[in-house]
Amino acid sequence: MSKYSVIGTRVHRVDGPEKVTGNAKYTFDLVLPGMLYGKVLRSPHPHAKILKIDTRKAKRLIGVKAVITGKDTLGRKQGIWRRFPELCDEEILCREKVRYIGDPVAAVAAIDEDTAEEALDLIEVEYEPLPAVFDPLEAIKEEAPQVHDGVELNINVTRHIEWGDVDEAFKKCDHIREDQYKLCSQAHVCMETHDAVVSYDYGGKMTVWTSTQSSYYIQRLMADMTGLREGDIRVIKPTTGGGFGSKFELDSAQFCAAILSMKLCKPVKIVLNREEEFTATKRRTPMYYFLKLGAKKDGTLLAKEVRVITEGGAYTAMGATALYLTGFFSSFPYKYPNYRFDGYRAYTNTATTSAMRGFGAPQSTFVGESQLDMMAEDLGIDPIEIRRKNGMTPNYEVPGQAYIQSCGLHQCLDKIDAHIKERGKLPPNHGIGVSAYGFMSGGIFNWFDTPYAFSAAIVRINIDGKVDLFTGACEIGQGSDTTLSMICAEELGVKLEDIRIHAADTGICPVDLGAWGSRTTLMNGNAVKMAAADAKRQLLEFAAAKMGPNIVYDFDIKDQWIHLADRPERGISYFDIVKEAIRGKDGETIIGRGHYTPHRKGMISPAYSFGVQAAEVAVDPETGRYKLVNVTTAHESGTVINPVGIEGQLEGAIMMAGGYGYCEDQPMDEGKILNPSIADYKLIRSLDMPETEILEIDTYEPEGPFGAKEAGEGLTNPTAGAIGNAVYKAVGVRINDLPITPEKVLRALKEKQKKSK
Amino acid sequence: MIRDFEYFAPKTLKEALTLLDKYQDEAKVIAGGQSLLILMRQGLVAPKYLIDIKGISELNYIKSDAKEGLKIGALTTHRTVEKSPMMRNGFSVLAEIERNVASIQTRNWGTVGGELCHGDPAEDPAPALITLNATLKMASLKGERTMAVEDFTLDYFETALKPGELLTEIQVPVVPPHTGTAYTKFTVIENDLPTVGAAVSIILGSGDDICQDVRVALSASAPIPMRAKQAEAVLRGKKITDALLKEAGEVASTEAEPLSDIYASEEYRRELIKVLVKRMGKEALARAKKA
Repeated sequence: MSKYSVIGTRVHRVDGPEKVTGNAKYTFDLVLPGMLYGKVLRSPHPHAKILKIDTRKAKRLIGVKAVITGKDTLGRKQGIWRRFPELCDEEILCREKVRYIGDPVAAVAAIDEDTAEEALDLIEVEYEPLPAVFDPLEAIKEEAPQVHDGVELNINVTRHIEWGDVDEAFKKCDHIREDQYKLCSQAHVCMETHDAVVSYDYGGKMTVWTSTQSSYYIQRLMADMTGLREGDIRVIKPTTGGGFGSKFELDSAQFCAAILSMKLCKPVKIVLNREEEFTATKRRTPMYYFLKLGAKKDGTLLAKEVRVITEGGAYTAMGATALYLTGFFSSFPYKYPNYRFDGYRAYTNTATTSAMRGFGAPQSTFVGESQLDMMAEDLGIDPIEIRRKNGMTPNYEVPGQAYIQSCGLHQCLDKIDAHIKERGKLPPNHGIGVSAYGFMSGGIFNWFDTPYAFSAAIVRINIDGKVDLFTGACEIGQGSDTTLSMICAEELGVKLEDIRIHAADTGICPVDLGAWGSRTTLMNGNAVKMAAADAKRQLLEFAAAKMGPNIVYDFDIKDQWIHLADRPERGISYFDIVKEAIRGKDGETIIGRGHYTPHRKGMISPAYSFGVQAAEVAVDPETGRYKLVNVTTAHESGTVINPVGIEGQLEGAIMMAGGYGYCEDQPMDEGKILNPSIADYKLIRSLDMPETEILEIDTYEPEGPFGAKEAGEGLTNPTAGAIGNAVYKAVGVRINDLPITPEKVLRALKEKQKKSK
Repeated sequence: MIRDFEYFAPKTLKEALTLLDKYQDEAKVIAGGQSLLILMRQGLVAPKYLIDIKGISELNYIKSDAKEGLKIGALTTHRTVEKSPMMRNGFSVLAEIERNVASIQTRNWGTVGGELCHGDPAEDPAPALITLNATLKMASLKGERTMAVEDFTLDYFETALKPGELLTEIQVPVVPPHTGTAYTKFTVIENDLPTVGAAVSIILGSGDDICQDVRVALSASAPIPMRAKQAEAVLRGKKITDALLKEAGEVASTEAEPLSDIYASEEYRRELIKVLVKRMGKEALARAKKA
């Protein structure tokens, strides 16, 4: 029998019935009495001075209630790197200058959407177009136009990571490879676009309903930008249709709706349309990668040097973190004795690049795993073998950076090795590529400058034994409401259906930093576990007093049965003790509190997950078209809280990361994104999905709740690299710029034929 | 934003034609709306009057006749064609095509006639219909006329329909014996619009393997669904070999006029035409031998 009653069981989502019946209410569905509808006017220029905005005609349109521009704001700039004021560079409603096609310049509130949209056409904006720059390699040249005044060479952020003596180590290498890569953009394509309903009342209180990954960040940033006190702003996250990194910054829907509502003291709703979603929200960071890798003849990796220049787009956003993490994860999951990373993020006149699932690591994993396979081939070593030789192991310290406790990379390699052997001899033009990876379980960095614990939870036990779990964690589709309810039920010794979770409402829930960086299971899970333990302790005190056993006995609760840990048959019903405990406390409900902030865990993350993926492709050598046949993943995430949740994460990740490797891109012409619709932006769909398989790995992370760690974003890291390596195995060509489209494969095949002639 | 329009939902062909005659250019006809609504939402098309013909049941039928062949009412949905038992005896290629058109939801609502009238060169049924020598029947208050599918599309999103005229029927003549027809499209993701599509129909002589007649048609390879007549000439009257099919593909690739866009470069499309024509030629030949 498992030592757990709830953890590790296959559980359907607690929000499942509402979602599959279509009954769940998203921000998109909300309607308030007297609510107005807002629309945002955006810049058609990639770079221009705003000379004049005339809103008079728009204001005169019947049905229009308010028109705002940057002049109606406090004129502040915001950003999520709040500790660094110079990186808070986005006004949201531009006053003097626009920096990308889609930058907001005005907004309208009207009685309906059509009227609001009609009014946008009546706003006259006089621009003076400025020279613009689109490519980061162009942007860092002396003569390039300046995207932000005073930022030299448009360099927004630089990051340096180094350990060992890289230059000396390269001298000792038997073989050195230098390779270059170009990584494309990717859109998040959330099912629910960015949206918000904001209601500001005559009493000076604001309520924001919004699709977000962090209700706390929105509350804090909204306070910064409106001058209201944090406590006067209540942010509620209704059911949310996806985030993937796109929804934890203050966005134009939230901010414009807030300013309009403050003007009118009426609720205002803004829903971005799909085109705005593609062009005027954030996206994955395109990067230029320059890699140098040195090894001994036997495959021991001695040194790695990484230089990266990223396309920042118009503002900082979370791009600085993407830059840092791509540098850190370029060393993953291997033990490089000598390592150096230099990263530069350049401002450009394009849509801002920021966080997206994997957060710099899908980029570093694609380039690193591609190059490592080539190194292995150069040295005549099997790809699995070179990974075994250099792979991280438990209790490994990344010099001066991070301390890794649990690490199941070698088990993953063994399982994938066995899987590949099991596939046997492949048909012609088939190939299997592998890719190893790691990821963090939440970030330790506090650039947001929160004074609060990173995660917190409150558990309240009611008279009928029902448990209310309050947490700031944000369920955005990833399954956190279910995971956290399971952790709470397990710790408290009750059933999952005894838990009711109340999450992501700043008015009633303690602060949590939100759903990003794969932090929720570990960080919020720890807080929930602590809160449940606190409540449980209070019950056990009453149980001990009532049962009065020998003092040497410990108590526990399991399946609603409070009992002696070593004599499970001697016990008492959980429900009876709850009633007695509340009576004993003079009618006070039982409340447990928990919080978590990582301490003494290095600079990056309290724990790391690892995995290896094998992708099999079948290439049509006449067209370059290939199909993903099978993707098998060995992902170790410590104790698995909910196997169904991991399977969902894996399939979603393959769809997203497969698209990143195969077909997703945002081609531009002079800063204009050319495919801003789901018809034109190619996504992998159900018909394109390969068969997927997950191989179980047994590890335990001491820092995580019940031994659990990350199982969300990390799965996005390996697929593009595995595809690249598989295509090479199948037909012998390498594509160094993502996505690896059929057209590029065919072109490479033709070139290869030419050369061999 | 969809601009305001006046909406009509005629229940008979006569009513529809009367409305079309009245409003002429100011009216737009909507059937399944799978293409038009996107254009309207983007503001690219803003008709003053919208005539919704979806409810005209007299245009929703498939008839099969031993002498006259297949007659498909313009409002027949993709899904109906896909599932129709009449798609056999040389017509089965039409059902095959429909199986890979978009999603079931789109096929359930979108109509074959609507797709033809949309005039997008990147569409599926037109090349196959061209190789099957199909014609279209159009009606207006003044009367009826017919025209080869091949001649129907004039340019990007422009058809031979005159103001006041409605497409009513697709006519596919009886397929001669020893005929094989095949169509395929290249897409980056499954069931998408074609990056390039190719249909080949081959008629063999009775008792020999000589190609009596052949038709090759392409989608997304020119401003209109185009017939590749030079490629046909390579094959006509000859005993078809792999080498000949390869040559036909190369000739088709040269005579086509593909564009570069965000989905594919012109060069890549030409490469795809070579491969697709060759492959469909081979498939059509195999089918003709069995037919």
